[in-house]
Amino acid sequence: MIHDFTYLRPGKVKEALAMLAQHRDGAKIICGGQSLLIIMRQGLVVTEFLVDIKGLDELNFITYDPRAGLKIGATTTHRTIEKSPLIKEKYPVLAAMEEKLASIQVRNWGTIGGNLAHADAAGDPAPVLIALNASVTIASSAGVRSVPLEEFYPGLFETVLAPDEMVTEVLVPPPSARTAAAYQKFNLLESDQGIVAVAVSLSVGDGGVCKDARIVLGNAAPVPIRAKKTERLLIESAPNEEIFAKAGETAAEEADPVADIHASEDYRRHLIAVLTGRLTKEAWEQACQA
Amino acid sequence: MTTNTYSVLNRRVHNVDGHAKVTGRATYTFDVKLPGMLYGKILRSPHPHARIISIDTTEALKLPGVRAVVTGKDTLGVKQGIWRRYPELCDEQILTIEKVRYIGEPVAAVAAVTEEIAEAALDLIDVRYEVLPFVDDPMEAIKKDAPIIHEGVERNVNVTRHIEWGDVEEAFEEADYVREDWFKLGGQAHMCMETRAAVASYTPDKKLTVYTSTQSPYYHQALLAGVLGLRESDIRVIAHYVGGGFGGKFELDAAQFCASVLSMKLSKPVKIVFTREEDFIATKRRTPMFYYVRTGVKKDGTFCAREARVFTNGGAYTGMGATALYLTGFFHSFPYKWKAYRYDGYRVYTNSLPSSSMRGFGAPQAMFCSEQQIDWIAADLGLDVIDIRRKNAHTAGYEVPGQATIGSCGLGQCLDKIEEWIKAKGPLPKNRAIGISAAGFMTGGIFNWFDSPYSFSSAVVTINVDGVVELHVGAQDIGQGSNTTLAMICAEALGVKLENIKVHSGDTDHCPADLGAWGSRQTLMAGNAVKMAAEDAKKQLLEFANAKFGYNIIYDLDIKNDWVHNVARPERGMHYVDLVKEALRGKDGQRIIGRGHYTPHRKGMISPAYSYMVQAVEAQIDAETGKLSIKSCTTAHDCGQPINTLGLIGQLEGAASMAVGYGCLENMPVEDGKVMNPNLVDYKIIRAPDMPECEIIEIDTFEPEGPYGAKEAGEGLTNPTAAALGNAIFHATGLQMKQAPIMPEMIVNAYREKKKGGGAP
Amino acid sequence: MEKQLLRFYVNEHEYELFINPKTLLVEALRDHLGFTGTKRGCDTASCGVCTVMVNGMAVKGCTVLAVQVGGMHITTVEGLERDGKLDPVQTAFLDEGAYQCGFCTSGMIMSARAFLNETPAPKDTMEIRRGIEGNLCRCTGYNSIVRAIDAVAKGKYREGA
Repeated sequence: MIHDFTYLRPGKVKEALAMLAQHRDGAKIICGGQSLLIIMRQGLVVTEFLVDIKGLDELNFITYDPRAGLKIGATTTHRTIEKSPLIKEKYPVLAAMEEKLASIQVRNWGTIGGNLAHADAAGDPAPVLIALNASVTIASSAGVRSVPLEEFYPGLFETVLAPDEMVTEVLVPPPSARTAAAYQKFNLLESDQGIVAVAVSLSVGDGGVCKDARIVLGNAAPVPIRAKKTERLLIESAPNEEIFAKAGETAAEEADPVADIHASEDYRRHLIAVLTGRLTKEAWEQACQA
Repeated sequence: MTTNTYSVLNRRVHNVDGHAKVTGRATYTFDVKLPGMLYGKILRSPHPHARIISIDTTEALKLPGVRAVVTGKDTLGVKQGIWRRYPELCDEQILTIEKVRYIGEPVAAVAAVTEEIAEAALDLIDVRYEVLPFVDDPMEAIKKDAPIIHEGVERNVNVTRHIEWGDVEEAFEEADYVREDWFKLGGQAHMCMETRAAVASYTPDKKLTVYTSTQSPYYHQALLAGVLGLRESDIRVIAHYVGGGFGGKFELDAAQFCASVLSMKLSKPVKIVFTREEDFIATKRRTPMFYYVRTGVKKDGTFCAREARVFTNGGAYTGMGATALYLTGFFHSFPYKWKAYRYDGYRVYTNSLPSSSMRGFGAPQAMFCSEQQIDWIAADLGLDVIDIRRKNAHTAGYEVPGQATIGSCGLGQCLDKIEEWIKAKGPLPKNRAIGISAAGFMTGGIFNWFDSPYSFSSAVVTINVDGVVELHVGAQDIGQGSNTTLAMICAEALGVKLENIKVHSGDTDHCPADLGAWGSRQTLMAGNAVKMAAEDAKKQLLEFANAKFGYNIIYDLDIKNDWVHNVARPERGMHYVDLVKEALRGKDGQRIIGRGHYTPHRKGMISPAYSYMVQAVEAQIDAETGKLSIKSCTTAHDCGQPINTLGLIGQLEGAASMAVGYGCLENMPVEDGKVMNPNLVDYKIIRAPDMPECEIIEIDTFEPEGPYGAKEAGEGLTNPTAAALGNAIFHATGLQMKQAPIMPEMIVNAYREKKKGGGAP
Repeated sequence: MEKQLLRFYVNEHEYELFINPKTLLVEALRDHLGFTGTKRGCDTASCGVCTVMVNGMAVKGCTVLAVQVGGMHITTVEGLERDGKLDPVQTAFLDEGAYQCGFCTSGMIMSARAFLNETPAPKDTMEIRRGIEGNLCRCTGYNSIVRAIDAVAKGKYREGA
């Protein structure tokens, strides 16, 4: 059962930030509530004040600028991102990821800001956005700061947000030349959360050598992690079958997965090896054609 | 396919309750709201095995809004069970008094003005437990030093079953090839869309009305009478719409019992609806089993001998577990002729949720072992998988020694059709293969373990002046479409259009007793009762028609499509409604009433008739991740005469979805007595994008025992799928998977074992 | 806790409720307004039997706070029929037998209707399957439901068809 709370609905971002500044730990933000309401129903989250920002249209936008890149407002729904012609064109991996997230109903109401702030280790957007080198804009009544998404999660279900702060937008740099990204999660049913997931972004440099690599493992550790050893393996190399396979093995070693009823630690590592090997190959082939 | 000579049967019709369901008007127990209704919640044991020292409810009673708190001490303490004929198997006090035997077992119940208050009150009930050592593995529970779960039940073995014919040892001597394998079969949750639910309303005139989501209103009426000390007929059970059953809703459950006890205390209606979590942890599931199978065959594939030994994980109470124990052993011989067969089954109590009945009733488990082993034997001997089955297949009239006589049997034709289908498919790409499984299943059981004095099925047909037929049946529609199927049989037998039939079911005050919707019994048993009632009514009507027309006695009259006519000269006749009017007048204003019933007599040990099928599952395996992708599911199916065409297709596809789940999705790990995934995120139910296309090839047979030759369709169809999937994996990869459900990690591990040269895992 | 005023439209009629803000949309519809066609079946937003349309979008009523839909237009299964005339999706479900126990049916029909409104011409049946992915059905195995939606998409129920 959900515990009672005092309901607050700010009409503007400024109001919301003032409320957070006033109530701090006593307040929790709700947007789409697709994750929050479930844990509130289980009694795992009890809050005195609930600040509802679902109606903040100020933060409902998708814009693109060739220099600044992509900006998605925090209250933008997954469905909007999924269907955005702009995102399909410039960041197809994002649209593809959204298409497989939960269900249409959840995507119609749930938001990107809410998803990222929930900090679920098995969440789909974070690994993809980290592979795209995204950052989040965090606002409080004291000001605004930017945090790279890969630094946003200090631990399981934790973010760097202070009690008076909220995410207002997600920023993704403009796509680089000759770069391709791919994302795959492993599950039994199409839109389930991944038992593990891998997001890869590779850039081709002069002479057919890998110029840049970002490899992110999802649900392979308490937070999404960059497989940096694996990236180093690829960078400066002319990737081939052997290197893709080695990338898989290395990523498996870098992972720190849990064992649960869905998979043992060993199987999760195995899946990471397979997925990373496949995705680095896929991304590389795409990047070479770009 | 032969042409359809029936007016109503085997046609695509709208279900008689379709309108209510597609417009949101259908009211389920979940929707029932009565004036003054209170909400109930159940306090459950956190321990798998413990003695209850004391229960202090004083603080809970003080909470504003709480109206009553009850424990086992407030009840008659009756040990109830559905096998009423065998009191030693009636072992469950639903609000347990002395001991808890599984995590989730009810120990107290609260009624309050809101659900929220009732739930808050649970936290205020103070239960003192003396925790006892527990055992949740049946192979541990049978050991000498294992904790005893039910006093007086040695080694925790509460039921044994033995089936035998022929001389097994001699037959093994004759065999050219003998193979033995061990298997582990998982449980499965019914996962009905509507969880367990009941609204009980006791009134000062000592009458109890219970709205509940049930497969058998009559069973619940009788069982409640037994535990509440009421007269059966003073209890009314109502179930107009039921959100799924699948074998999990014909035993008494805590929603019905606790709501009734609370209502009797307060003389107010009390509603209890299980949460999805409660539905997972504290209801009775499909029986997990350990199977040992030893099979001897001749080198040409003739089956000689089979020996099987099974230990089932019975959980804390018996429920229908004794039947599952028998049927798994019986169907393990199906659908083949064995020279000699021996089965020994042992049901073992454990400290986990009780195992009972679920669609297929022990047969899916049996098929998983038998049908895979047959393919492995065929591979070992270089034989064709269809030929080896054909060689040994049941045929019409075959006597399973001491057990059953097979009536109609289309198995041979099923094998032929699937063989054709596979040939037409041609070669498949790497890591993709077709696996088959044959199966046969009962069409209603013959044994009256419930010890009911009533006919197994009854029906009453009453004809109103406008020709509308009030059809009263006790058979329960739980979504399988029995209201429609029975209406179709009634219409066909009476000779009238389907829209004339008004079905009454789901109310013990107005309907005759019927054992209910389980064991695939309703089309045959209730169908026969309905046919008899309708024919009785027709006969009475035709007496008036004969008198009216005065034809030469050699001419027959009949009714077809609302037209009463001379069979030889069908244009001569009258409209059915006109005849009804005359009949009514002729009977001093009394309506024509036809009665029918059915109870199987002398039909063997198991069932009056058996359905047959051969299923082919095409699957692709990702050799690196172990992930399965099921491409198609094709079934050659013999259910005798199909009645409700859309219903049949729905039953086949629905059964396939549930059986695919059993084969490779619905893992239900129980650790230290705890269900580890009691929610729909972690317990995987198949969804639309993952469901394969299903094709049905209907085989034409006629079953003399069934109404118009009909047999069951819907439960038997859960039998073959897991086995066929296993066989697809075998033919694609060479891996022999001996555990269900088959999870991708198991496949990866099996590949590793194979690589190591270990052969079959 | 202060109750909140909620004014919203359900099946094109305006309603006003004064409710505890933690009230879920499905509770507002079922318990406060009596629209019991919409059901509940789980606590993890997994099963979809609570699906309704909010401003034309399919959402799970069990995971939306009622107070968030002020001023919005909710459609429940009761709102699909018009003066006793069934929506083509409902008729298609009848024709294909795309239901059995019926408990998932209200939510399934709402997902189907929302899907077809957005995608009147799905490119293949897999797209239809993805359109109802958020709705579990334990009885039918989904294929009859897909056939029903496909029939509507192919114009079988167009006026004059």
